[in-house]
Amino acid sequence: MLRYLARRLGWALFVLWFVASVTFVGTLRVGDPATAIAGPHASARDRAFVRRFYHLDDPPRVQYAHYLSHLARGDLGQSFRYHQPVARLIAQRLPRTLLLGVMTLAFEFFVGIAVGTLAALKRGTRFESLILGATFVGISTPTFLSGKLFLIVFAFRLGLFPIGGYGEGFFDHVRHGLLPAMVIGLLGTASQARMVRSEMVEILQTEYVRTARAKGLSEVQVVLGHALRNALLPVITSLGLSFGALFSGAIVTEAIFAWPGMGRLAFESITGLDLPVIMGTVIFASTGILAGTLVSDLTYAVLDPRIRRP
Amino acid sequence: MALVDPRAIARFKKNRGAFVGAALVALVMLFSLLAPVLSPHDPNLPYRNETLTTEGVPIGPTARFPLGADPVGRCELSRLLYGGRVSLAVGFAATTIVVLVGTTVGLIAGYFGGWVDTGLMRTVDALMSFPFLLVVMALNRIIHRPGLWLVFVVLGGLSWPSMSRQVRAKVLQLKGLDYVVAARALGASHLRVMTRHLMPNLVSLVVVIATTLVAEMIVAESALSYLGVGVVPPAASWGSMLQESESLTRAAPRLTLIPGLAILVTVVGFNLLGEALRDAFDPRS
Repeated sequence: MLRYLARRLGWALFVLWFVASVTFVGTLRVGDPATAIAGPHASARDRAFVRRFYHLDDPPRVQYAHYLSHLARGDLGQSFRYHQPVARLIAQRLPRTLLLGVMTLAFEFFVGIAVGTLAALKRGTRFESLILGATFVGISTPTFLSGKLFLIVFAFRLGLFPIGGYGEGFFDHVRHGLLPAMVIGLLGTASQARMVRSEMVEILQTEYVRTARAKGLSEVQVVLGHALRNALLPVITSLGLSFGALFSGAIVTEAIFAWPGMGRLAFESITGLDLPVIMGTVIFASTGILAGTLVSDLTYAVLDPRIRRP
Repeated sequence: MALVDPRAIARFKKNRGAFVGAALVALVMLFSLLAPVLSPHDPNLPYRNETLTTEGVPIGPTARFPLGADPVGRCELSRLLYGGRVSLAVGFAATTIVVLVGTTVGLIAGYFGGWVDTGLMRTVDALMSFPFLLVVMALNRIIHRPGLWLVFVVLGGLSWPSMSRQVRAKVLQLKGLDYVVAARALGASHLRVMTRHLMPNLVSLVVVIATTLVAEMIVAESALSYLGVGVVPPAASWGSMLQESESLTRAAPRLTLIPGLAILVTVVGFNLLGEALRDAFDPRS
């Protein structure tokens, strides 16, 4: 298990290096960063100073070495726009997006499982068809669309939720985050529900469920204690793999609901060509995706002892 | 040899979802193809005097403008029809790239195995660790050349890894089968085995993935255009129509619902079709 973990970590580090290098090459020849930093009206002398200050005149090889050595120490460089360390900007925005992410995952997990289980229990009824239809529309609705529709219906028309922003204080943050979290989670919830349904349908036909029923256990004990436990495995692993989707969802949803998190930082850095922030967010998000995959694989190994055996 | 199992065709024909999906896709394609015929106006021409009130608010549906006007005073129906062409073009073009690259890489990796396989699949793993939307947005913004080709090249160029993985898995199954081993033993070249013996058996898998992929690519294009880094104005795309109506979300929700519904219908259509194809080719799933 330890050797497996070490190998996986080594590979993850290699991929991170790969991501960082590709990002570096991809942003090497973009416009004139000196103009972006010093502003369009800066004199030639100012621009020369900026270029020297940020080492923009160094050959790419030197810049690359400089970049990697700083990256290894967790230094992602300075934002052109905010004139602050990128790492500090990310640290500032991250908790907000994490809050959104945790709420989204909770929504996906509980609603997805509840809906999927109900559908499996009502197999062959109109209720099941209804759920299957609704979840199909759910997995087909892009986040930017559900975001705008939820905004129009739940915030503008019904006034149930704030129309955007971040609020003041923890509970207000949560209140403002409810609608965006539901929007990001809609796709995931629908696909979780479909997965849980098909897993449960299969499991409910197995012999051990029949045995549990024959022992005289109540339906609740059979479903929650025996069947659902085994249906959870793919759910948990797919949650670990959803980091990339969550981040994509955050970019779109934070733009719609004016949520000042990582997604919005990434979006603003792209429109404003704030290269260090673009590079920082790409590397950061890749780290998250790699970590999610790793956690998901490890959870699988822990929950299912058969995988641990070599 | 028939490329497609006749039993699969029979199963497909009996599927109600297949019918609905095919009908929706056909409808969207027809409307997009006939955009120049069906459009009442030039999609990029503003008719401010007729379509905007003195406060600058676009009018609702009238006889001359069946879906009303957009915030700049252009005909919403004409933009919807022309926007469909953009969405479908990007969807199909990006999917073609994914099919070509993904199938080739998966086939080569699975067939040759060994270090070729390890090298290719590790590259795939690494590419899949990139945050997709973020990288696509950044590339589009950085390269910044007007024109559709950039959007679909970037989308297709970053989406093939998962296709190549699934193709590889299928090739691994196939290459141990007797007929493939026999073909090799009879002296068929690697290329011949791959193109004549393996490819025909990959068709069903690739078609199923490609169908849902068209929907995914359309969604990605719309998301990019909605965020302002996709199709370059004044050209219409369903995503850019959503973006342009942003300031009027509250005053004229119609301008959000119309392109939104078009995207939803298209995506549901392709997804239904993809699911029906999967059920037809692989009845166990």
